[in-house]
Formats: sequence, C-alpha cells, structure tokens
Amino acid sequence: MSALTALTLRTMSGTLRDADLLFAVLAPVGCFLGFTLALGNLIDTGRMTYPQYVLPVVLVQAMLFGAMTTADRAARDRLSGFGVRLRTLPIPVVTPLAARMLYCLIRAVVALVAGTAVASMFGFRMAGGLGYAVLFVTIVLAFAMAVCLGADALGSRIGSVESSSQLLLIPQLVLVLLSTGIAPAESFPAWLGPFVRYQPVSQVTETLRGLASGHFTGVGLAVTAAWCIALLALFGCLALRMQRRMR
Amino acid sequence: MTTNTAVTEGLPYQRSLTAFARQSTLEAGRLLRRWRRDPIVAVQALLFPTFLLVIYKLLIGKAVLAVTGSDSLYGLVPMCAVVGAIFGTLGAGLALPAERESGLLTRLWVQPIHRASSLTGRLLAEAVRTAGSAVVLTAFGVALGLRFADGWAAALPFVLVPVMISVGVATAVIAIAVRADGRAMVTWLGAGCVALLFFNTGVAPAEVFPSWLQPAVRLQPMSPTIEAMRGLAEGRPVLWPLLQAGIWAVGLVAVFAPAAVRGYRTAAETGCR
Repeated sequence: MSALTALTLRTMSGTLRDADLLFAVLAPVGCFLGFTLALGNLIDTGRMTYPQYVLPVVLVQAMLFGAMTTADRAARDRLSGFGVRLRTLPIPVVTPLAARMLYCLIRAVVALVAGTAVASMFGFRMAGGLGYAVLFVTIVLAFAMAVCLGADALGSRIGSVESSSQLLLIPQLVLVLLSTGIAPAESFPAWLGPFVRYQPVSQVTETLRGLASGHFTGVGLAVTAAWCIALLALFGCLALRMQRRMR
Repeated sequence: MTTNTAVTEGLPYQRSLTAFARQSTLEAGRLLRRWRRDPIVAVQALLFPTFLLVIYKLLIGKAVLAVTGSDSLYGLVPMCAVVGAIFGTLGAGLALPAERESGLLTRLWVQPIHRASSLTGRLLAEAVRTAGSAVVLTAFGVALGLRFADGWAAALPFVLVPVMISVGVATAVIAIAVRADGRAMVTWLGAGCVALLFFNTGVAPAEVFPSWLQPAVRLQPMSPTIEAMRGLAEGRPVLWPLLQAGIWAVGLVAVFAPAAVRGYRTAAETGCR
C-alpha cells in the first residue's frame, strides 16, 4: 500500500468516527431543505423554480463546510506531532497534504451526490444533457479543491484546532448568504448590488445554475474558470509552502 | 465557615443561603471572565448572531416587507437574540468537558461550598451572557431601524425574554455536556439546532412555510420567544406567546435538571483523568 493510500484511509477512518462523512451528507440535505422550505415562498426567482435556483449555492456551501473541517484536520495533524513524525519517514513532504486533499475530493463527491439527490426529489433537473453535467461536476469539484487547499494552508498556519474552523465561519456565511445563490441581486439593497453580483460564490453559482438548466454564457464560464484556477493556484502554492515551513 | 459547615461523605459543604448566593455569583463571574476569552463562545454568542442579523436583513428585508407589510427587523432581532442565546450555550457546553478533564470541576467540588452553587452559578452566567448579547443585538437593531411602539420601557422586558429560554436550553446542554461523551453529543445537538435556525417565525412568517410544517414552526422552542419579543416591540399583547415560552423554559428545566444535577456531581467526583 502506498503512503498516499494509507494516509487517505487513515483520514477516512478518523472521519467515520467523528462523523464528518455523515456531516458531508447531512449538511447539503439540511441546507437545501432549510432554504427551500423556509425561503422558497418568500423569494421571487422568476420563471425558475426555487429548488432549481438554490441547489448550486447549497453545493457551494457544502464545499465550504468541507473546507472548514479540513482546516481543523490540518491543524490537528500539525499540532498532534503526527505531522512531525511523518516528516521523519521516507515519503515525499507533500504526501500528507495530498492525502488530506484526496479525502476532500471524496467528501466533495459524497456531498455532491447527496445534495443533488435530495434536490431531484423537489424537482431539480439537469436539463442540459451529459456534457453540461460533466462540466457542472468539474466546476463543483475544482471549487471544492481550491477552498480546501486554502483552508488546509490556514489550518496548518494557525496552530489551534478549535479556532481555525471558527475563523472561517463568518467569511463563509457572508459569501454564501450575500450572493445571488439564494436570492436574485434585485432582492438586495441597491448599494450592495455590485458586491453581490461579482463575488466568487455568485459567479460560480450562476454558471452552475446555467449549466443545470442547459444554457450559459461564455463570459460567465470564463469568469468562473478564472476564479477556480486562480484560487487553486494561489491556495495550492500557500498550502505547499505551509508543508515546507517547519521542515 | 466553621459554624455552618456540615460534613457528609467526607466532603465539607455549606448550607446557608448567603453562602449559596455569594458562591453562585462567584462561579458566574468566573465563567463570564472565562467566556470572554474563549473564541468559540465569543463567536457564537455575539459575532455570529450579529452577522446573521445584518445579513438576513439585507437578504430578505425587501421580500418580508412585500409579503407581510412590516419591517423584517421585528422578527430578525428577536431571532438573532435567541440564536445568540442557544449557540452561546452550546459553545459554553463545548468548554465544559475540558473543565472536567483538566480537573477544574473536581477542584471546585472539594471546596467547602454550597453544593447547588456550581449549577446555579453556571445558569446565572448563561442568563447574564444572554441578556448581554440581547442588549448588543437590540442596539444594532435600533441602529438599523427597530423602534418600540410603546416607548423605551418595553426595551427592558425585550432583552430579558430570551433569558427564559436560555436557562432552559442551558440546563439541557449541561445535562448532556457533563456526560462522558459530552463533546460529541453537544456537537450533534448543535447540528440539530441549526434546523431550528431555519424553521422559526423570525425569518419568515409561519404562513409562508408549507402547511404540513407550520405547526412545528409555530411550536418549536424559539418561535414563542420570538413572537413575545416581536409583540413587545410592536406594542401588541404578549401574554400567550410569553406563556408558551415560559412553558418551554420550565419544561426543559424540569426534564433536564435532575440529569444535570446528577451528571454534574458524577463528573466532579470522577472527572479528572
């Protein structure tokens, strides 16, 4: 068994115990039901049904939740001395990071499947066909990887298990609730419009929504791809640097 | 100390009411000072509800005004005060297992104190913290446009109403947090409380929920408190929601107090690992 497999399995057995994988299923399901049942009749989304409208942001939020727990795991690995122990082994320095990221990818797939399944029960449909669906999944997973890398870097840096995920709670909340993912930009006060329209969560969810209903603009897709690639590159570099720092 | 100290089970303790009052206040003061430096309690009791208030106001302010004709602040400020109370209590509950494992609970238990003062002190601290964050949130609400129809006299009961439910929830959280598997259980309880966050009458009026969900939305522990506070701010009669909120608080205390007392004692007597 390679070091990567062994460390990924270690992370997985840990998250089966602390129920993070169960949380990966429950968070998108709960958020979807909450948004749909509580806000569905309150928010005007035009011709689109609310489940169709809101699922992308539910998925994005599930990915952000995943990033929060990643921050905790990275901090725990760093603090418990386990990380130090791993550095004495004849394996590449990036292997522990790669194992955590591989787990994040698995977790993201689990959350994606759970969220989409519950939304289908409320009438969410992938109207665009297979090509669009593949692009949809790719964007969700790329976004998940980007935010997980960022959270991993933060968790490795911050050096306190409990405060790292708390630190991410507020930015997470601001980005998700003040986006066009939950309500169209017209629902917000006019002065907030530019922020709501152009922040990354809005851009990503809008593209995802377009892909799900079978139409999108090239500009939107390019902006989303740019956000994902830029965040991946930035956070990837940071996360790698954090691995090197204490050697 | 010497005259009024009884000795049973090998541990001296006090019975007088003055000692009870003084030691409860001391314990409450200790907890409040501790919470002030605890990032989890600070975030969950104050920062999180404040952000929620501002963000929800921006998100659904227009829609609620269109559907109900009244400002969404009258539901959101109460909701966020209750959210601060419940999530602050949960944050404090997360800190309790650490106090047990470090031996602090045991260390305090072997002092010649009134036996009830540990628990009442904790509940007192929860009550003070809840009222404190309600004051901050109400100030924020007033800055955003909340007004008391019957004058500022209603502001005092307004910030004291969430204390009731806070004491009820705190009793339940203590009963759960002092168990050996306390930390995991409180985390799960927190996940459950997130559901209450969506399904209450503060964000949206009960009528916009699907009809099968409306009874649950109206009766869940947060909603009566929210309605009572809304009534106080708008100058409407509040007796019935206040009564419901009281029933929730008394019910929670009645159900969980025996377990909390027993669990706290067990934790203090065996806790230190």
